[in-house]
Amino acid sequence: MTEIRVKNACVIDPIRGINGEIMDIAIRDGRIVESVSDRAEVIDAGRCLTLPGGIDSHTHVSGTKVNFGRYMSPEDMRAGRTKRKGKMHVTSGYYVPTTFGNSYRYSAMGYTTLLEGAMAPLEARHTHEEFTATPHQDMLANTLFDGNWAVMDAVREKDVRKTAAVVAWTLKAARGYGIKLTNPGGTEAWGWGEDLTGIQEMVPHFAVTPAEIITTMMRANELLGLPHSVHLHCNNLGKPGNYQTTLDTFDIVPDLNPDRQTLYATHVQFHAYGGGTWKNICSRAEDITRSINSKSQIVIDMGQIMFGRTMTMTADGPMEFNLHCLHNNKWSNHDVELETGSGIIPVTYSKKSAVNCIMWAIGLELALLTKNPWQCLLETDNPNGAPFVKYPEIIGLLMSKRYRDEECATLHAETEKRTSLCALERELDWHDIAVMTRAGQAKALGIVSQGKGHLGIGAEADIAIYPIRTDSVDPAREYRKVVEGFQKTRYTIKRGRVVSRDGEIIVDGANATFWVDAKVPEDLMMENDPEFIKRFEQFYTVRMSNYPVQDVYLPRGRRIETEAFT
Amino acid sequence: MIVRDVICPFCGCLCDDLELETEGGRIVKVQNGCSLAEATFISDTRLPAPIRRTETGWEEISYDEAIRETAEILQDADRPLLYGWSSTHGEAQSIGVHIAERIGAVIDNTSTVCHGPSILAIQEVGHPGCTLGQVKNRADVIIYWGCNPIEAHPRHMSRYTTYATGFFVPDARRERTVIVVDTRRTDTAGIADEFVQVEHGGDYAVLSALRAIVRGKASVIPAKVAGVAKEQLIRIAEICKNAKFGAIFFGLGLTMSRGKYKNVRNAIELTDALNRHTKFVISPLRGHGNVYGSNEVFTWMTGYPFAVDFARGIAFYNPGETTAVDILRRGECDAALIVASDPGANFPRAAAAHLAKIPTVVIDPHVNATTALSRIHIPCTAAGIDAAGTAYRMDGVPIRLKKVIDRGYPDDAEILKKIYDLLNGGMGP
Amino acid sequence: MKFVLNTGRSVPQGAAVEHKGTEVYRTVSSACFLNPVDMMLLGIENGERVRVTTPAGHIVLTACPAEGVTQGECFVTIGPYANHIISSETHGTGMPDFKSQRVDVEPTEEPLKSVGELMEEIGGLRYDSA
Repeated sequence: MTEIRVKNACVIDPIRGINGEIMDIAIRDGRIVESVSDRAEVIDAGRCLTLPGGIDSHTHVSGTKVNFGRYMSPEDMRAGRTKRKGKMHVTSGYYVPTTFGNSYRYSAMGYTTLLEGAMAPLEARHTHEEFTATPHQDMLANTLFDGNWAVMDAVREKDVRKTAAVVAWTLKAARGYGIKLTNPGGTEAWGWGEDLTGIQEMVPHFAVTPAEIITTMMRANELLGLPHSVHLHCNNLGKPGNYQTTLDTFDIVPDLNPDRQTLYATHVQFHAYGGGTWKNICSRAEDITRSINSKSQIVIDMGQIMFGRTMTMTADGPMEFNLHCLHNNKWSNHDVELETGSGIIPVTYSKKSAVNCIMWAIGLELALLTKNPWQCLLETDNPNGAPFVKYPEIIGLLMSKRYRDEECATLHAETEKRTSLCALERELDWHDIAVMTRAGQAKALGIVSQGKGHLGIGAEADIAIYPIRTDSVDPAREYRKVVEGFQKTRYTIKRGRVVSRDGEIIVDGANATFWVDAKVPEDLMMENDPEFIKRFEQFYTVRMSNYPVQDVYLPRGRRIETEAFT
Repeated sequence: MIVRDVICPFCGCLCDDLELETEGGRIVKVQNGCSLAEATFISDTRLPAPIRRTETGWEEISYDEAIRETAEILQDADRPLLYGWSSTHGEAQSIGVHIAERIGAVIDNTSTVCHGPSILAIQEVGHPGCTLGQVKNRADVIIYWGCNPIEAHPRHMSRYTTYATGFFVPDARRERTVIVVDTRRTDTAGIADEFVQVEHGGDYAVLSALRAIVRGKASVIPAKVAGVAKEQLIRIAEICKNAKFGAIFFGLGLTMSRGKYKNVRNAIELTDALNRHTKFVISPLRGHGNVYGSNEVFTWMTGYPFAVDFARGIAFYNPGETTAVDILRRGECDAALIVASDPGANFPRAAAAHLAKIPTVVIDPHVNATTALSRIHIPCTAAGIDAAGTAYRMDGVPIRLKKVIDRGYPDDAEILKKIYDLLNGGMGP
Repeated sequence: MKFVLNTGRSVPQGAAVEHKGTEVYRTVSSACFLNPVDMMLLGIENGERVRVTTPAGHIVLTACPAEGVTQGECFVTIGPYANHIISSETHGTGMPDFKSQRVDVEPTEEPLKSVGELMEEIGGLRYDSA
């Protein structure tokens, strides 16, 4: 029985309505409890900012395409390397760190739970192997369904129950957490080198539209009682003028769930472009946020870009190819049979580029113009917009108009004309940031009931103590301190153990993987469906019995069971 | 007893539809497999116990003794080399990396003499590829360049390409055009619709010529390029541009002949150029069953897919310097651990000879050429036969190999773990 | 006569790859496939032996005709016989010239060596199992 008492913590816990109270936190055997004995180890937080452990709701850290990004980039591996030291293994990579690199650096920043942004079910085993090698964060996997043949067939037949049944079977086989759609329908078109240009366009051969895929999947998601909502990377990512596609998509989202959003739209910065060409591209963040502000059933994350080099990697194969044609950088592509696609290319976001400056401004505009911080979460689509180690800088920018102004002064002259960022006065406060970096994620992902995202009795003791005294730092002026403070915790506690102290990892990790087992009625179990089995065995290149991820890959798996169709 | 859906661990195809019959703890029949699978599962003779070389011959020793001595050899070495890894499962490969990191060793896998150059090319220009099912279901043009699947990947064409019935290619062979490029007329060339015979070392020029034609510059091409007629080159380029979905598979003909990684780079760039016209993918035909797995494991753990040197305390990668053949050739390593591979047979003589000069330990289920060069050989399970574990198919799809029988051998992961624990302080004074 | 040595896989080689001490493996991996015209020019018949020499050393192989092999090329499966004469130079790539080694081929009466003998030549000690 291990006990810890964190004393003098300045706690901000939005889920429990606590905003800057000095209190003690009692921890026993990995959970937060009412009180502990005198034998407890005492950690004096010194009135520093103490938050629930950080939760990243969309990051690319594990799996086939991430590993592609690593092995095709030895120059990046050299850029971010560290030596073996104590409990810390060697790490490599700056934009695409190795798994231990990811884990240590996230832990140094106080992050204790990560949702892998995209996992193809056929390659799920790879993702789970890398999860185990990312030992200091609990992991969840967004499971890709955007080009899934069985799903598109069921959507075409307008059969929501069948769609749900396919999702349930596949999520279980892949040990996935939720439904991810990346350029729905577009990734199947990319199997022929094509793409779709709007949500009402038909997917070649499958006779369904992205709109139909999205709406059917939203309903299927709720039928299954999944803890997270559909997680969507909208069609037309990155194209000037695409804001209309985004608005059209938002317009078809019903409000199906009282506890959380019905749609989580990810990295919306990349989907908020006006104009029609690279020459006249502009920000449409105002239109996008107007829509979000009137629709509580939608939650977004920013998809903030930061200047410098990084790697783009998404399941959106056609988009990555277009980026390749634009930049002529090395390009990898990996389409996954019957399921989805992916593309990987390095990019550089430059202050000399008007387009990049506009992109940078849009991300910040989204956060500042969305009234409710629970609806706009802080993410960079790591590493697509920027590596996650830049989150503290984004926090600094959101909390300080002065910082933004100083940055704006170094940008391309067009930025001011084509975005409204420079005119925005709003400065987010500590509570807003706590929402956007953990509480909001916990709610959106549906893991509050798993004890994540808050510090109430019974919660998992995932705690981040930052070297920030909120009573003596003025974030609007002293943004450097804010940035430094969020870069390295004094303590990161994971399930009741101190895992990181001043940036150094001091124990071996033992993370858990959360996955969903949605129980469907027997007549809808795909393992009993002769047509499903027949098509599987005919067109996949692995046998159905060899496809599911075996238990051995989740040494500390946390199965979340839901009752479907209730 | 019948065991279904068994995965053959031999080559990069990782066919997972085999049906095995076991009797009395041995595998007696293999259905659906090729003759390489049959040899793998049925003619499976093992070294019975650990052996150590003496002045006069070989003596049997216990596992404990063998493991202890191996740890001592590695501990004492200044520059140990851990090589091989391609026929064992990911679990063992991970421990290998941990050992290498712990003792500051160089760890390399068989890509170094196989598709290492492909990796070098990918590191320059990327890899536009896909999983094998994309090819099976969509491809109407298949190109085999510098490889001979009939001999090295016998079921590749029936499971994934030429003869495989796909969703969009229901008539399989009839709907497909097969192009084979090679210096010699192999059996694979024998079934091709177009055989392109290239002069030795001429692949680079032919690839450049095709790229030029695809980009509309046929006028610069001379009458013959590396022995190939311009008419044929133009015909091939047309077939490619008019394909609905083209797939290039390449092998050692590109990686091993003159130009090496530059040949592969050129082929990738050709694929890129074709993607401006239609859908085209390119993929290496990986040789060993789990060599890609060793690349994946090394990469997520260290950042680099092979030739990783931990001597500086960081992960350091420099092919030509940290690659196994070069380290052996320069006589740079003073101890070697050879796992699931046979450099004695597959490395050039001067490199293999060095293994005999230093304390070399082999961990492998079978006696092989390297055994003769080693000081100790520790037999273990064979992944996919008597040990379960993860393997990565040539296209990156991870599959769990099955344990079909038990022959009483320890898993090599177990042996490596014991070595690791000893190196981590369990060795005593 | 001068040739370029090409090495590669074959099914019989692959089937015997875990039995390198056997006669089957020796036969399969010590075969040197030559174009029939080249064999005629060398003055040898199918099954007769050739001595193949490079700066790295020499090896005795058994000549076999193969129409598919072009003149000027000889093909040997990957393995210790081919590697006995392949240079370990990798030109900074890690990869030796497994498919571009220039060799000298002449008929010979010398006997074939076994894999064990080849290993002993480079300092090994063969292990003879049952």
